Amino acid sequence: MIDILSGIQSTAAALDAERTRLDVISENIANANTTRGPDGKPYQRQEVVFESALQQAMDGQQVPMLKVAGIVKDPRPFEEVYEPGSPDADAHGMVAMPNVNVNEEMADMIAASRAFEANLAVVKNARAMALQVLSIGKH
Amino acid sequence: MMPISNIQPLAPALPVSPAEQPGALAPAQPSGDSFSTMLGKMVSEVNDQQISAAQTVNNLQAGGNVSLHSAVIAMEEANVSFQLMVEVRNKLLDAYQEIMKMQV
Repeated sequence: MIDILSGIQSTAAALDAERTRLDVISENIANANTTRGPDGKPYQRQEVVFESALQQAMDGQQVPMLKVAGIVKDPRPFEEVYEPGSPDADAHGMVAMPNVNVNEEMADMIAASRAFEANLAVVKNARAMALQVLSIGKH
Repeated sequence: MMPISNIQPLAPALPVSPAEQPGALAPAQPSGDSFSTMLGKMVSEVNDQQISAAQTVNNLQAGGNVSLHSAVIAMEEANVSFQLMVEVRNKLLDAYQEIMKMQV
């Protein structure tokens, strides 16, 4: 098949990866106050790890493509809050809150959405360039 | 009176040769595919791309494991290759009309 928008494969892979990052950030924000998960412990913040893998492009060349290496748990300790009324409080009335900092998540979200935007701009430009090439010789 | 001698025939008539030798004016065969084969291939490739873009969109709407951007990129690729095909067709038609306008 003809490769009309060259290099679009790696951009599409990057868009996929950034999308996953945004999904994980939304999970973190949604669970910022979850004090009890399925294992009985508070929610632990998650983070996406990216890696670059060589993949076969359409023209048979090996190109580095961004992919999600995995989603890891943040090892930072839980925050202890005094809340004696909570059913999850211990003998001293302390409740372990998730190690999610919403401000940090918002900053990460901005970075992820800007990276997504940058990749979209690449797609847009590739398309505009292809259409401009097609209009060579028109008057 | 002199006897009338037989009329001598002229030089024996030359064997009639065909007006043109077959093959002498035939166009040289291109080494690769002919233009029409190439054009047909291109049309079918563009068609394949349209079909795969439509399948991606269908998959997305059916809740399949397709992201929004890959569907849009597939549509965009199909669109650009279609425009390329239209452009080739326009050029071909222009050349044909130019030849038809030629004074003989």
